[in-house]
Amino acid sequence: MVAAVIYLVFRSFVQPPPPPVAVPPSVQLLESRLIGRQDGERQWEILAKSVLQTGDVVTLTDLDEIIMFQDGEPYLAIDADRAIWDRTRDVLELQNSVVGDLDGGFRLESDVLFWNGTEETLTSPGPALMLWDGLEIRAAEMVLESKENLLYLKGDVQIRDGSMAWIAEQAVYDLDHERMDFYGSLILKQEAEDDE
Amino acid sequence: MMSRKLAALFMLAAVALGSCGAVGAQSQVGTLEITGVPPEMSAGRYDRQAGVFFADVREIPGALITVKLEDVEVVGKTLEWRTDDNYLIMTVDARLTKEDFTLSGDVVEYFGETKRLVSEGHVEVMTEDATVSADHLDYDEETDQALFTGQVKVVFSDGVLSGERFLMLLEQSELQFFGSFQGEFKDE
Repeated sequence: MVAAVIYLVFRSFVQPPPPPVAVPPSVQLLESRLIGRQDGERQWEILAKSVLQTGDVVTLTDLDEIIMFQDGEPYLAIDADRAIWDRTRDVLELQNSVVGDLDGGFRLESDVLFWNGTEETLTSPGPALMLWDGLEIRAAEMVLESKENLLYLKGDVQIRDGSMAWIAEQAVYDLDHERMDFYGSLILKQEAEDDE
Repeated sequence: MMSRKLAALFMLAAVALGSCGAVGAQSQVGTLEITGVPPEMSAGRYDRQAGVFFADVREIPGALITVKLEDVEVVGKTLEWRTDDNYLIMTVDARLTKEDFTLSGDVVEYFGETKRLVSEGHVEVMTEDATVSADHLDYDEETDQALFTGQVKVVFSDGVLSGERFLMLLEQSELQFFGSFQGEFKDE
């Protein structure tokens, strides 16, 4: 589910029906509100103070917010300092980004996120935090493979699930089947339930 | 003289066994640790929907599964833990230790909902003073009774008791032998 959401978000971002901005190379737009539509329906909206296109690279800076829409309603927000879209490589880089749904059920934080449109992977090469379905997931590296809906976690993996806290070297979380496979040494700490 | 020794022996066992029931208590803080597993090899899988964790490290030399709860430790090579009903089964070189008490068996199971500890196959309970071996042990935390069945043998420093069925009523400090029982004692 979460992978599907992210997949749709980034796919629509990377491959919008009309390009986000059609300007000649090395042209800069200021104080821009970019709106992507598909079949007349709003898909996304970006408020950026600066949009610079150099060749096949589009750089958006001073982003106020990126709002994704579903059925015309906002449902996902991406907060990033800077977005760099390499159209040739089909890679979108988000710096200091926070991705979350508007209900607060899903949140992904990372200093740098790469969406690879060809491989359909979302990669955090550095530490990342994901909140999803009651889970708090942390890892030194994180890769979400959208095709298989698998979340690969590597290094200092910590998964908190209610009173359970998993600590592993590596883990793979199958989002569809809610299965966690742990690799290497593993620690599970079962903490006392809160008496309410 | 002999009855006093036996009473002391089984009081020790009673204290030790009585403590085993806390293994799966929900209010306790526990730790599961799987060590000696190379990073490229699977240590275990948790099925969140079913609430089941399973680990099997039999094929990994030096790897071990350890469950710790306060001063009780259970180790083994395979583990299945059902979180919903708090059921835990440890197999292959399964061993439970608490201070000077050790329980080993082919299988060690804990049923959290019914508060029962069951061990099967080459069951051996060792204390400082004696060793009780049997095919099967069933300890009920509610009634505080431990039932040893099948080739029961109690070995202590100066004697051996053997039979087929042996019940320890821990709270009452009573021992019940069912069926025929044999005893051999050394002269002091």
